[in-house]
Amino acid sequence: MRNVTKDLVVEKNLQDENIDNDSIALRAENVSKIYDTSAGKVVALDKVSFTIKKGQFVSIVGPSGSGKSTVLNMVGALDRPTSGKIYIDGIDIFSMNDSEIATLRNKRIGFIFQSFNLINRTTVLKNVKLPGIIAGMSSDVADFRALKILEALGIDDKKNQKPVNLSGGQQQRVAIARSLINNPSIILADEPTGNLDTKTGDDVFAMMKNLSHKFKRTIIMVTHNPELAESTDRSIMLRDGRIEKDVIN
Amino acid sequence: MNPKDLFLLSFEALVDRKVRTLLTILMVVLGSSLVVVLNGLSAGQAAFLEKQFNTLAANVIFVGSGQRSLSSFATSSSNSLIINNVVLGKIKSLSNVGDAIPEYTGSAQVNSQGNTQRVTITSIDPTKLTEELPNLEYVDGSTVKPNDRSSAIVGDTVVNPPGASSSFVTLGQTIKATATYSDSSGKSVTIMKNFIVSGIMKPSGNNGIDRSIIVNLDAGNELLHKLNKYDQVIVVATTPDDVDTVQQELTSQFGKTLGVTTPKALMAVRVQAASGNAAFILMVGIIALVVGAVGIVTTLYNSVTERIREIGTMKAIGAQNAEILALFLVEAALIGIIGASLGLIIGIGGGYVMSIVTTTFPAGGGQPIHIPPIFAPADLLKVWLLSLGLSVLAGMYPAWKASKLSPMVALRRE
Repeated sequence: MRNVTKDLVVEKNLQDENIDNDSIALRAENVSKIYDTSAGKVVALDKVSFTIKKGQFVSIVGPSGSGKSTVLNMVGALDRPTSGKIYIDGIDIFSMNDSEIATLRNKRIGFIFQSFNLINRTTVLKNVKLPGIIAGMSSDVADFRALKILEALGIDDKKNQKPVNLSGGQQQRVAIARSLINNPSIILADEPTGNLDTKTGDDVFAMMKNLSHKFKRTIIMVTHNPELAESTDRSIMLRDGRIEKDVIN
Repeated sequence: MNPKDLFLLSFEALVDRKVRTLLTILMVVLGSSLVVVLNGLSAGQAAFLEKQFNTLAANVIFVGSGQRSLSSFATSSSNSLIINNVVLGKIKSLSNVGDAIPEYTGSAQVNSQGNTQRVTITSIDPTKLTEELPNLEYVDGSTVKPNDRSSAIVGDTVVNPPGASSSFVTLGQTIKATATYSDSSGKSVTIMKNFIVSGIMKPSGNNGIDRSIIVNLDAGNELLHKLNKYDQVIVVATTPDDVDTVQQELTSQFGKTLGVTTPKALMAVRVQAASGNAAFILMVGIIALVVGAVGIVTTLYNSVTERIREIGTMKAIGAQNAEILALFLVEAALIGIIGASLGLIIGIGGGYVMSIVTTTFPAGGGQPIHIPPIFAPADLLKVWLLSLGLSVLAGMYPAWKASKLSPMVALRRE
């Protein structure tokens, strides 16, 4: 449920920064995450704040343990921060209950995983349709949308195959198609080229870049690859749970 | 997610693990079919007993001697009285007693045209047979004259033994009965007698009568070497209302030296025994079903563990906890529905097969008794619902565990 009071605060902050509220896809405010481990408390994120505009292709880079994945988990509403707030389309996502967060993930966030995370027992078409089915889309509409996206990504001929029978690049395209089915506000990609060879990785990256620039999709990509990071619109570099650099490329 | 999509996703997940799914379904099938078979046989037995007692007249009382009590339920004592004509006279003299019909019973080997079978010889005044069995009818022929020592009435099961393609005897045919007894020195003595079949009874519903050859008192006394000691007396009360009074009088006069019982009392004891038996059978069946349910827990728990990343992915793309819970519960329900339905079919078939097997190969080598199972639709529905309910219940914990998984933790799992 949308928290009106909190949204008003966000709008005020945006006005202070002279950023048009409608152009903001995501905003993180002083987000901290502290894990309790057997070795004691581990600060994974320490008051991280950033704003991402709609249509921006942002990379999050940093060494292992810098907090990249934690940021992605918070932004993707997969985990709650210890403190701080995250707004997607102006909505304070952690003011919601778990069910509302699940709906938000379904309708406003698209996920692309390093290891594709496709359901191998079912077809490519059904994998792509799945978020639509969860959203309550009718089977005909979901079919139509899924086929359009698969066609745009050049893999519509694979619609009846099982993902396990496709190449890594093709599987990642299926995952990209799945992330687009509900027309989300932001797409989160966790090392999307990490399991692919260089050539296929480049193709997948080019596809994502095309999505961002041609179709004005907001994409946040976690990567280890500095060359790919430089090819995005903006790179947020993390170190020890803090933003070390925020660079417009 | 609409129910159809939910069903299809669950069904695909089950099909994906065919062998495990089939083995789990098999466990449910075994459990539910066992309950169906046992229930069917139990219901068949209860109906059989009821039918047996319904063939008996309502105003008769069975009085057994100490030599042979009527049944294991009849009271008997080591200080028992031998029933001879003196005792018979005393019984007849009791008030409210219309008649007292003495009877010898025993076992004999009967030969007919080269075929043999072991039958019960019931030796009674043939004209009084209807006092005990008011609904007695004949397929062919008629009853034996009281003084005719060489004629016999043959029961339906003797004429048409289970599994036989032709009749064992026909009307007018001569049969040879052979009985043995031990003399005072312990030596086995064989007595043989020929009888002409003068009547063939219609199935009476009373298994004891249907398996008998009925001869007159003198013939039975001689063949079975009873020495005028009756095995039982069928006491006919003046009216059914007098049964209790006569029973009290018999007990008052003879104490525990005679075994006295009524069809009503026998029925009550047997119904009580059948109820206990049914409860035991139900427990066995439920244990089998619970074993099947444990199989479902194991299967689905393994499935949750193996599909943990899939669950994480489903949650990441927006599946609600309730939808994950429903996915696994539908899997459990599908296992239950398929298992229970197959279990019902196999149980019904198995019940009939067991009934035929017990008829063909009677326990203890005794005479075959065909007791068809009874499968009441309401009972079948109860078993089906119980199997389904237990299956869904068994799926609860794994489904709940899956639904409560943190998406982040699930996605991290290799």
